[in-house]
Amino acid sequence: MSPRNPLRASLAALATAALVPTLAQAQAVPEGRLLASNCFQCHGTNGKGPGFDKLAGKASSEIYKELVEFRSGKEGNGVMAKHALGYTDAQLRALSTYLSTQR
Amino acid sequence: MQRRKLLSAGAALAGTALNLAAWADDDKKKSKDKDKPKDKPKDKPKDSGTGTSTGGNLPPPAVPKSRVIVIGGGMAGATVAKYLRLWGDAVDVTLIDRSPVYTSCIMSSLVLTGQRTMASLNYGYDTLRIRYGIRTVFGEVAAVDPVSARVTLASGQVLMADRIVMAPGIAFDDVPGLTQPDAMPHAWKAGPQTALLAAQLAAMPTNGVAVLTIPKAPYRCPPGPYERACLIADWIKARKPQGKLIVLDANPDFVTERDNFSSAFLGLHGPIIEYHNNVVIDSVDPTSRTVFTANGPVRGDVVNLIPPQRAPKLLLDTGLVNDATGRFARVNVLSYASTAAPLVHVIGDSAATTQPKAGHIANQEAKVCADALVRIFAGGSPDPAPVTNSACYSTITMSQASWLHALFQYNADTATMQAVAAATGASVGWNSGSFKEMGTWFNALMGDTFA
Repeated sequence: MSPRNPLRASLAALATAALVPTLAQAQAVPEGRLLASNCFQCHGTNGKGPGFDKLAGKASSEIYKELVEFRSGKEGNGVMAKHALGYTDAQLRALSTYLSTQR
Repeated sequence: MQRRKLLSAGAALAGTALNLAAWADDDKKKSKDKDKPKDKPKDKPKDSGTGTSTGGNLPPPAVPKSRVIVIGGGMAGATVAKYLRLWGDAVDVTLIDRSPVYTSCIMSSLVLTGQRTMASLNYGYDTLRIRYGIRTVFGEVAAVDPVSARVTLASGQVLMADRIVMAPGIAFDDVPGLTQPDAMPHAWKAGPQTALLAAQLAAMPTNGVAVLTIPKAPYRCPPGPYERACLIADWIKARKPQGKLIVLDANPDFVTERDNFSSAFLGLHGPIIEYHNNVVIDSVDPTSRTVFTANGPVRGDVVNLIPPQRAPKLLLDTGLVNDATGRFARVNVLSYASTAAPLVHVIGDSAATTQPKAGHIANQEAKVCADALVRIFAGGSPDPAPVTNSACYSTITMSQASWLHALFQYNADTATMQAVAAATGASVGWNSGSFKEMGTWFNALMGDTFA
């Protein structure tokens, strides 16, 4: 995959370099982190306990599915049933994804 | 029996460990592990870093990229300090408080019934210092210059920063006639007055009358006075069989959790609690333990006088108290920047927002503020759609609790945090399961804040 045109290659390198600060900045604040921090008061910092069920490292789909079940009322009428109703679907997905990245 | 055993285990631990939730009373799983040390600030922090870091203690940045001074080390202040270090890029954080020990207001009414010790409510700052590299200064703040972001301590020391976060909590209004505050303790900031009120209640005659007064909202912890009243009533039933509790509420109705508290006040505790709404305390006589109201004087053997509340004088002196009531500081809830001074942020009970004044949500306000500062330091803007939540448990008896929850979404039209109706409300009734969950919640919340 060596570039045929050296000028194009160096332009591409320049473009990449120019992108670096933007990417670094975007990476500095992971999507869903602030939303997910609403979980930490009861599930521990980054969802790692101490507290109620540990959330860190669970699959995003599993966390999301549980939250949807709480919303539906299938999991009773406790605090989490109420809590899960506060978020939009996009927010639930974003915070689930963030929690799944915690190890 | 189980409970008593755990209490003494906790008391023994608390003598040596100020830092962590060295208290596992309602959390059986934890109590089985009680031989294991609970306070290990020097251990590899499993939960530090953003999840991608290798772990280990975070020393203060050798070459800070930005500096923040946090004034007040309670629920809001400790959390913002911690999360600025966890989330920020080389942010140097200095946390200032009067005291090297924070005493939790949450759970402190259980001291009044003898169910917790004062020591069990104490949290130090060693973990924040060692694990997160937060600098701590214990002393009185003399002045804050909001334009140059400069803090002068009473000692004369001057500290400078890029931003200041103020989380000083609440102050109480002076009550006319209250020349001896200890004669009518508020016990609304956990501390010596909590122990004092517990002792006064214990010494009350078996046919004694206790009086609890509730100030006009907004005050710290909306359900707090009602849950305290329920707890004291249940304790009176057991310990002072002919005793009575008179609750004088300056508000027109139960401020929150109306169904549960009205049911408990009028039903379960009806023989003990005498509830009067719309009663404002005009003045008091501490010698005869009498409170004077428009409806006449009320005397008690014990008077738990909870005065109206406002932001502490330091905020007033800094020029940040600018809400319509003249009591609290207006802020932009995307960043908690003061509307009067853009380099100073105000979080927790001192801020005038649509959110309740309470520890759990103060922790979340702190995270929103920390996230906003991290973004601002990186040249960006605050998250345009923050979410906060409030959750807590209320003691309805000495062994049963209810719960209360609210979740707030940012409303761009009103520029306020707006409660989501479907996510706002309380449990239907109360039970022992919730009382147990209360212990788990408390330990988790204090861990997220101080460890």
